[in-house]
Amino acid sequence: MAIHTTCDGVRRRDFLRVGALGTSSVTLANWLRWTEAAEPRGGTARAKSKAAIFVNLAGGPSHLDTFDPKPEAPDDYRGEFATIPTSVPGIHVSEHLPKLAACMDRFAILRGITHSLAAHELGSQYVNTGNRPIPSLEFPSYGAVVSKELGGPEELPLNVAIPRSAQGAGYLGVRYSALSTGSTPQAGQPYAVRGISLGSGLTVTDVRRRQRLLEDLDRTFHDLEKDSQLMDGLDRFSEQAHTIITSPRAREAFNTALESPTFTEPFGESTFGQSCLLAVRLVESGVPFVSIQSGGWDTHNDNWTNLKTKLLPPFDTGLAALLVGLEQKGLLDSTTVYVTGEFGRTPKINKERNGRDHYARAMFMLMAGGGVRGGQVIGETDEKGQAPVGPARSPDDVAASFYRTLGIDPKKEYQTSTGRPVMIVRDGTVIPELFG
Amino acid sequence: MTTRSIVPNVLAITACLALGVGSMTPVAGASEAAPVRPRIDTRYAADGVTEAPDFRQHVLPLIGQLGCNGRACHGSFQGQGGFRLSLFGYDFKADHDNLLAGDEPRTNIEKPVDSLILLKPLEEVPHEGGQRLEKGTWQYRVLLGWIEAGAKDPGDAAARFVRLELEPRELVARAKGDTWQLRAVAVWSDGMREDVTPLCRFQSNDDQVATIDAAGLVTAAGPGDTHVVAFYDNGVVPVPVVFPVSDRVGPAYPDVPTPTRIDELVVDKLRKLGEVPSEPCTDTEFLRRVSLDITGTLPTAAEATAFTADTNPDKRARKIDELLERPGYAAWWATKFCDWTGNNSRFNQNKGPDRQNVVSQLWYEWMKARIEENLPYDQLVERIVLAKSRLDGESFEDYCSRMSAFLRKDDKASFAESPTLPYFWSRSNFRTNEERALGFAYSFLGVRIQCAQCHKHPFDQWTKDDFDRFENFFARVKFGPGPDTKKPTEAMLTALDVSKSLKGNKLEQELAKLAGEGKVVPFSETYVTPPPKPVDAKAIARLEKQKGQEKEKQRSKLLAGRTATVLGGEESRIDELEDPREVLMDWMRDDGNPYFARAIVNRVWASYFNVGIVEPPDDLSLANPPSNEPLLDHLATGFRAHGFDLKWLHREIVSSRTYQTSWRPNETNRLDERNFARAVGRRIPAEVVYDAIKIATASDAEAAKLQSSLKGRAIADPIVTPRGNAYALTVFGRSIRESNCDCDRSMEPGLLQSVFLQNDFEALSLIDRQGGWLDGAVPQAKAKAAERDASVAEVRNLQAKIAAMEEELAAAREEGEKSEVKKIEQRLASLRKRLAAAGDEVPGKPRRPAATPEQDAARFDELVKEAYLRTLTRPPTPEEAGRAASYLAEVRDLRTATRDLLWALLNTKEFVVNH
Repeated sequence: MAIHTTCDGVRRRDFLRVGALGTSSVTLANWLRWTEAAEPRGGTARAKSKAAIFVNLAGGPSHLDTFDPKPEAPDDYRGEFATIPTSVPGIHVSEHLPKLAACMDRFAILRGITHSLAAHELGSQYVNTGNRPIPSLEFPSYGAVVSKELGGPEELPLNVAIPRSAQGAGYLGVRYSALSTGSTPQAGQPYAVRGISLGSGLTVTDVRRRQRLLEDLDRTFHDLEKDSQLMDGLDRFSEQAHTIITSPRAREAFNTALESPTFTEPFGESTFGQSCLLAVRLVESGVPFVSIQSGGWDTHNDNWTNLKTKLLPPFDTGLAALLVGLEQKGLLDSTTVYVTGEFGRTPKINKERNGRDHYARAMFMLMAGGGVRGGQVIGETDEKGQAPVGPARSPDDVAASFYRTLGIDPKKEYQTSTGRPVMIVRDGTVIPELFG
Repeated sequence: MTTRSIVPNVLAITACLALGVGSMTPVAGASEAAPVRPRIDTRYAADGVTEAPDFRQHVLPLIGQLGCNGRACHGSFQGQGGFRLSLFGYDFKADHDNLLAGDEPRTNIEKPVDSLILLKPLEEVPHEGGQRLEKGTWQYRVLLGWIEAGAKDPGDAAARFVRLELEPRELVARAKGDTWQLRAVAVWSDGMREDVTPLCRFQSNDDQVATIDAAGLVTAAGPGDTHVVAFYDNGVVPVPVVFPVSDRVGPAYPDVPTPTRIDELVVDKLRKLGEVPSEPCTDTEFLRRVSLDITGTLPTAAEATAFTADTNPDKRARKIDELLERPGYAAWWATKFCDWTGNNSRFNQNKGPDRQNVVSQLWYEWMKARIEENLPYDQLVERIVLAKSRLDGESFEDYCSRMSAFLRKDDKASFAESPTLPYFWSRSNFRTNEERALGFAYSFLGVRIQCAQCHKHPFDQWTKDDFDRFENFFARVKFGPGPDTKKPTEAMLTALDVSKSLKGNKLEQELAKLAGEGKVVPFSETYVTPPPKPVDAKAIARLEKQKGQEKEKQRSKLLAGRTATVLGGEESRIDELEDPREVLMDWMRDDGNPYFARAIVNRVWASYFNVGIVEPPDDLSLANPPSNEPLLDHLATGFRAHGFDLKWLHREIVSSRTYQTSWRPNETNRLDERNFARAVGRRIPAEVVYDAIKIATASDAEAAKLQSSLKGRAIADPIVTPRGNAYALTVFGRSIRESNCDCDRSMEPGLLQSVFLQNDFEALSLIDRQGGWLDGAVPQAKAKAAERDASVAEVRNLQAKIAAMEEELAAAREEGEKSEVKKIEQRLASLRKRLAAAGDEVPGKPRRPAATPEQDAARFDELVKEAYLRTLTRPPTPEEAGRAASYLAEVRDLRTATRDLLWALLNTKEFVVNH
């Protein structure tokens, strides 16, 4: 068996490669135990969060028309929205974010986050992994890292994407992929999620009965199971899948209809609001990482009409309800909420199309929970929102801070499948003000 | 056979050194003309050495051995404590400069003992890296001696490193705890030979088989085989270690049939290991395995039956021939070639009407056509490597016209007929010289030179210099609007009446639309810029007059960008060539090329055996030697001798007894997964699994169609970005084709895979689908009709069902599962209704009698057989058939029993594992 090329002579042995002679004692189960034992959660002393909700505003939301308004900027920059004060004196946001303005004390605004990848795909990879994309490696996104580091209950998937996400597992491998729900709940309707909800007419009894049949028939490789990583892995995952499918815990975690109407009502009936509701429920049930994908923010055309009619109202309602809902359940302190698009939008208005185009030099992000001090603005942009003023912070820095809230050391090193040692966040520094 | 060292253990070595005894006993047959200079630790064993150590030969290797230039220390790109060394120490000049330069030089020529390079590792001044050095040791004396002699650099005139020689050449263990001392001799261009054992870095490739310490002492740890590797300067030398797993070695080895050359070579290795191959696999195992491997397709039940019944002794060979002609072969292997060449919509951004998915589709069609016609591999690669968008002598207008025809909606021209595949070069992640150097090495050479992009490769010979010289081949290959195409493009756009305000995406979309309508639209192109002006003849004449170092310096200045060097080969003048890539192609095709043929035969082998002869298959490197060199050599040589014939290669491999060995282990090969003594189960690749579920659940007619036509088949899906059936393909790890690594495809098991197979609506609805096998075997409508025609038997049946359901209800209530209770109650209500209806039968009305339980059981017996054949390609064993029958008795419903049986079979490991 070869020990694979590392750039530093670090020995690499992940379980799939431990397949040569004389390795019979290394089963997947052992391997998992070893890695669990060998990898204590870094920096738990500072960790407050046990879970995270990542909201991806795909397309790149305008910063000027949301959380970084420039009411004093010239006409061809400012945009048509007015600003409103928030519950925190001195902080103003767009007039179309009244509910979030009212709970400004629960979250922090990061302004002037800056990078240089103004293309959707690359920018999206960047903000979903905290690492600037490079051609020779696919970085794991937050969901893969968090589910690997924090783990979770056996009966639950550890990484759920509503309804899907740009969060790939990268070099960590498919084991850490997200379960994509593929759909979002409809207000007041029972919710079926792929793989978890039982098919029409099936009862748990049916499922258990057929599982017994499976166990009795799946005997061909019985003799090999203790020696083969693959066979052992397949058995283990199959058992866990069965546990998830038959456990009331998993099904109930996805069943938003079980929440009281007074709790669900503030989320609104929009897809985004219902996604937020589901995310809260999942976290409450013990799922350590949930991502929500919300699209349509690529407003090259009719930026303001789209924002004020289609995009901001459900976003404002849903996210505010999510923050308040987490707090009501006593979960806000132990759940990090992280909101970002892949970039901001051009401060200078594209008059031809009445829109704004891609702009990576300045963007906003939001973070809440997990020890993040709400009610503050960190960083700023110049008078036209074109560039950061003061220390330039990158998506890497926000990623490092995000991991810190979860007690994950952003400088921890993984090895890629080719054996290359790579830090979780290669180039980021925790932003101390977030926690001040 | 090996030569076992006489050195029994570490203590003995230490003792030898303490006594100042010279090198270990030389191995017979290895003597050379020049005497070997003794080890440095003996030469410097005491004070008062007059010899000045050499920076390259001694000092830098020692610094490496002390760990100074590791990544976490001074080898970090930021350095450490204001002092930086090249990572893995091969940049002699920079390292020398850094040792002497800076505000705080690490060497103190005036007062050598006060040099920081000594005081820091001695920890006499604070050192973050802790103590690495002790006074009074040979290491200390070497460092000090070098500084005392003026801390000289090697100079350009110094001898070149030629090679590293290791002894013994092979280590064969008899028992755990056996030890051998390795001896490493460096050979330099001036004829000097030195025992550099104490200056080497050593590693074991599997420390469960053998461990190796810093002094080069190898200890046998357990049965198996691996390599220990020595590193010195640019030398990387692996030494095989074999620890037999049984006493059946040499003369005690049983007589094993070896009908093919592959089998002979495999058994040659197994004989050393004391491993006996497993028995040949059964016919049905063979059929399933070879169909999945060659055609990415599960055999149908009908095919399995026919193959079993075939009595022709030649039937396996015939099946192989047949499979190689099936459409699945070209479809599946084209997909694999697209993995290796990186066909990914995300990067197929051509700034033209041929965008993303369109390009991926054309790329795939082209590749499939080449595989189908069995174009020799070297020619296939040549048509990619030397590809330019325009054909020889083609005008821009003709080029655009030809390309537009590929995008036409009606009467579309076939890109598969295109002579070359330029899209390999236009990928957005393959535009810079660096990206091309590493992507090219990955695709066609199976070599990972990423590391050398920034520093000396830690496990191979490649240096940053090699990387830089290699990437020069790609500098003149451009992609974008072709030269002198601006005006014709504008003219074309004007003629097409395209709005000038359209730019970027919008323009590309508009052009794609127009091309679809049959218009000729402008395209970007891959082209090679013309050669630079010839070098000034006078300058060359002047150069010839220079000598030595100065000549070298001037030469490299004069020829900057005009030369490039193939990996491990000669420098070429590329400035006189129309297309520098021709040098690459000639080099790859050359009989002596160490990578080109080996990379592909190893990849193909790995596809059939789960592991490559070199593993991972895309990591041909010195420190990662093949598990069976003669076997890899046989395949590569044969492949070349047969004109790079891919079908020859497939046939050669799958016709061997080795490929057709059973997965059932015997006591000698149970734990071996890398020497091919038995078939090693591997999870079926993503696309193949998805298709297999489809085929297994399809009606016989549909299954035959899925096999013969590729419509709706995942193995023929060229788009790897998410869409359609992508969820399943993603969780099963289809290649993401992103990072120049065969590991972009995942063969690991995963939780979501199990969730998918057990309970995903997509998997379940494939089982239940209308027109599927289940639907045909036990139609739901018919089942209902039969129930309506309930006889006395049906009444009894219903009563039994109700009783069972009531038990379920009680259990569910106990568990407090409200939704479950509700479901069961609804079902009970419906059953009770049916029972009532059955009891109220109007006698005398003509009706078809419902099947009796006996009839159902007989029918089920047949269905069980069919279900086994269509999923596991074998009939059930009597025990399995018995268990299935008892399931029918339990659920008392033919359709439920059949559906659940099919479900269970799809969820067995035997289904998802190719074995």
